[in-house]
Amino acid sequence: MVRVEHNFKAMGGPCSLRVDTDDKAAANMAVKAAVAEVARLERKYSRYLNGSLTNRINRAAGEGLPVPIDAETSALLSYADTAWRESEGLFDLTSGVLRFAWDFKSDRCPEQCEIDALLPLVGWDLVRREQDSVYLPMAGMELDFGGCVKEYAADSAAMQLRRYGVTSALIDLAGDMVAVGAPQGVATGTAGWPVGIRHPLQKDRAVAGVHMPEGGLASSGDYERCLLVDGKRYGHILHPHTGWPVRGLIAVSVLAEQCLVAGSSATIAMLKPVDEALKWLDGLGVPWLAVDANLNCHGSLALSQHAGKRE
Amino acid sequence: MASSPQEERNKTLAALTSSALLLPAYNVAVADAPPDFTEIGMRYSKYKEDDLSAKKVFGARSQRMDIDVAQFHLLAPVSDDWSVALDVGWEDMSGASPWFVGESLVDDGEPKVAMSGASIEDTRTEVSVTTRYYFDSGTAGVNYTYSDEDDYESSAVSLDGSLNSADGLTTYSASVSASDDDITPTQGKYPTNTLSATKDIRSAWIGVSRIISKRALVRFGLSYTYRDGYLTDPYKYKDNRPDERKEWTVSAGYRHFFVEQNGALHVDYRYFDDDWDIASQTLDVAWIQNVGQDITLAPFIRYYAQDKAKFFSVVVNDDIDSEYFSDDYRLSAFGAFSYGLRVNYDIGNWSINADAERYQTDESWGLYSGEESPALVDTWRYGIGLSYAFK
Repeated sequence: MVRVEHNFKAMGGPCSLRVDTDDKAAANMAVKAAVAEVARLERKYSRYLNGSLTNRINRAAGEGLPVPIDAETSALLSYADTAWRESEGLFDLTSGVLRFAWDFKSDRCPEQCEIDALLPLVGWDLVRREQDSVYLPMAGMELDFGGCVKEYAADSAAMQLRRYGVTSALIDLAGDMVAVGAPQGVATGTAGWPVGIRHPLQKDRAVAGVHMPEGGLASSGDYERCLLVDGKRYGHILHPHTGWPVRGLIAVSVLAEQCLVAGSSATIAMLKPVDEALKWLDGLGVPWLAVDANLNCHGSLALSQHAGKRE
Repeated sequence: MASSPQEERNKTLAALTSSALLLPAYNVAVADAPPDFTEIGMRYSKYKEDDLSAKKVFGARSQRMDIDVAQFHLLAPVSDDWSVALDVGWEDMSGASPWFVGESLVDDGEPKVAMSGASIEDTRTEVSVTTRYYFDSGTAGVNYTYSDEDDYESSAVSLDGSLNSADGLTTYSASVSASDDDITPTQGKYPTNTLSATKDIRSAWIGVSRIISKRALVRFGLSYTYRDGYLTDPYKYKDNRPDERKEWTVSAGYRHFFVEQNGALHVDYRYFDDDWDIASQTLDVAWIQNVGQDITLAPFIRYYAQDKAKFFSVVVNDDIDSEYFSDDYRLSAFGAFSYGLRVNYDIGNWSINADAERYQTDESWGLYSGEESPALVDTWRYGIGLSYAFK
C-alpha cells in the first residue's frame, strides 16, 4: 500500500487529495481526473472568471434574454431551489450582491439606505428558471454559487476517484471534505479518516476530531472576515432578508452522505438565530457540531462543552 | 396527527438529499436515456473474395464475388423517452460462385470447383426501421426490416428489451424475431433446384451482462434459432438439405479497461451447435486503444473453427443414395482467421471511421477433422464511414 498525496490550490483555498492504493499509476490517473474535475467546476461556476457560466448569467441580468444552461447547472439550480424552500428563504443564491454594501476591510458599517438599495436585487423567487435556461430579471442581480459549488466539487472529485477504481481516499477542498472508504492500514473498527474540525478562532487548533465515514463533512464559519465598529462585531454572513450580519452561531460543521447537503445544512444553520439553529441541526438526524459566540460547543461531534479560552 | 419536529427536520434532509442526487456527480447508475442528438451517417464498404487458384477450378473461370455496399443511417430522438432509427442499405453483387465440386479425371481424381457459368449480377436493397422506448430501468425496441433482391425477398420483425438491476450493475436482455422469406431463383444457363419457395426463421435470445469491478464487465448469452422451409441452395448443382434446422448458441464475453494504457481488452467466445451436426467455436480478441481524446484504434483477431454438416461431402457422387447431400464449402470442416483494424476519428461533431479485415480459411486450421473443400474462400473487406451528430 502506498499513499498518494497531492496538494493544490483551487476554489480560493488550499486543497489536498490523499489516496491509499496498491496501484500508484492508477491512483495518479485518478488524482489527475479529480483535480481536473475541480478545475472544471471552478471555471464553470466562479463569479470572478470572465468566461464562466455564472459570469454570463450575471452579465445578462435585465437584458431580456435567458441564458441557456446544461443539465448539470439545471440540477444545481433545482438543488438550490430545494434548499431555499427548506430553509424558508435563508439559503439564497442571489444574496451575494449584499457584499457591495459591506467592506470588511474598513471600520465602518454601511448606512441603512445603502443596504436598502441592494435588497430589491435579492430574492431567489425572482429568478426565472426553465429546464434549459435561467434569467435574472433585474440588472444588477447576481447568482453566486459560492455557497454550494465547493462542496459539490468535493463530491464530484470523489466520484472521479471512484470511477478510476479508488476505494480509499480523502478529499479536502479548503475545509470541505469527502471520504471515500476508509484509510488503508488501520485496524478495522476505527474505520474512517481521522479529521480535525478547525477551532473557530485559532487557525491551527482543532475544536473536535472525527473519524470520517464514507461521505462529506462541510463547515461554515463566521470567523474569517468581520468588522469591529465601536466594539461591536459584524460577521460576514449576511441575512438575505435584512442585509445585516446574522447574530447566530460562529461555526457549524455537518457530516452527511453528500458534502453538498452537509454544506448547505451548515450554511442554513449559520443563518438562523442560535436557539432555532441548534434545534434545527438536532432534528436533521446527522452528526454535527456548532460553536456559539461564547465558544460553547453543541452537537453530537462536540468533545467538550467549551472550545477553550479566546486568545 | 401532526408530525413531530424531528420528522419535519428529517424531511428536510430527505428533500435536500433527493434533490442533490439528481446532480451528475452522484449518478453512478445512469438511467438509460435516448440520444439527445440526431446522428446521420453514410458508409461505403467493399467485400471481395479472392480468386480461386487455377489448379482448383475446372476451366479458366476462377473469379468469385465482389460486393459493393452503401449504407445510410439516421438516428433521432422523438421525445425524452423515444428514439427512432432508419437504416437503408444498397448492395451491388457481381461475380461467380461455386456451382459444384467434381473429381478431375485429368488430375488424378483431384476435387475441383466448377464455377457458375454466367457472371451473377444482383442488387439488394434493405430498409430497416427501429423505434426504441427508454424507461427508468431499461429500454424496449421494435424493429422492422425489409430486404429485396432479384431472387430473394425478406421481411422480418423483432422485439427486444433490456432491464437494469436496481444497483445499475446488471443488465438483462432478451429478444425475439421472426422473418418470412420468399425465394425465386433467377433462371439462367443452368436449371435451379426450385422455381419458387419460402422459408421462415424464428429466433430468441437472452443475455445478461454484469459490471464486476470499476473497470471490468462480463456477459453471457444464449440463443435459439429455428429455420423452417426451403433451406437448400437453389443454384448449387448437387444440393438437397433438410427443410428444418435448429441452432443453439452460447456466448460469453469479457471487457476490461486498463487505465494506464488508456485502452480496453475485449474477449468474446461463442459456441454454436445445430441438428445438422455443424458445431463451431469462435474466439474474438480486440484491443481498443484510445489515442488522445479523439482517436480510437482497434486491432482485432478472430479465430473460427467449424465441424462439417452430417450430409456434407467434398464431392457429391452421382450414385449418392442418402436423402440429403451438399458440397457447399460453407458446410465443410475448416478453420479461419480474420484480423484487421478499425479506426475512428472524432472531429467536433463529425466522426470518421475506417476499417479493413482479412479473412483466411484452411481445413488444417480447424479443430474438427474433415476433408478440405477446394472452394474454401479467402476475403478482404474494407470500408469507410462518416457521421455527423447535432442537437
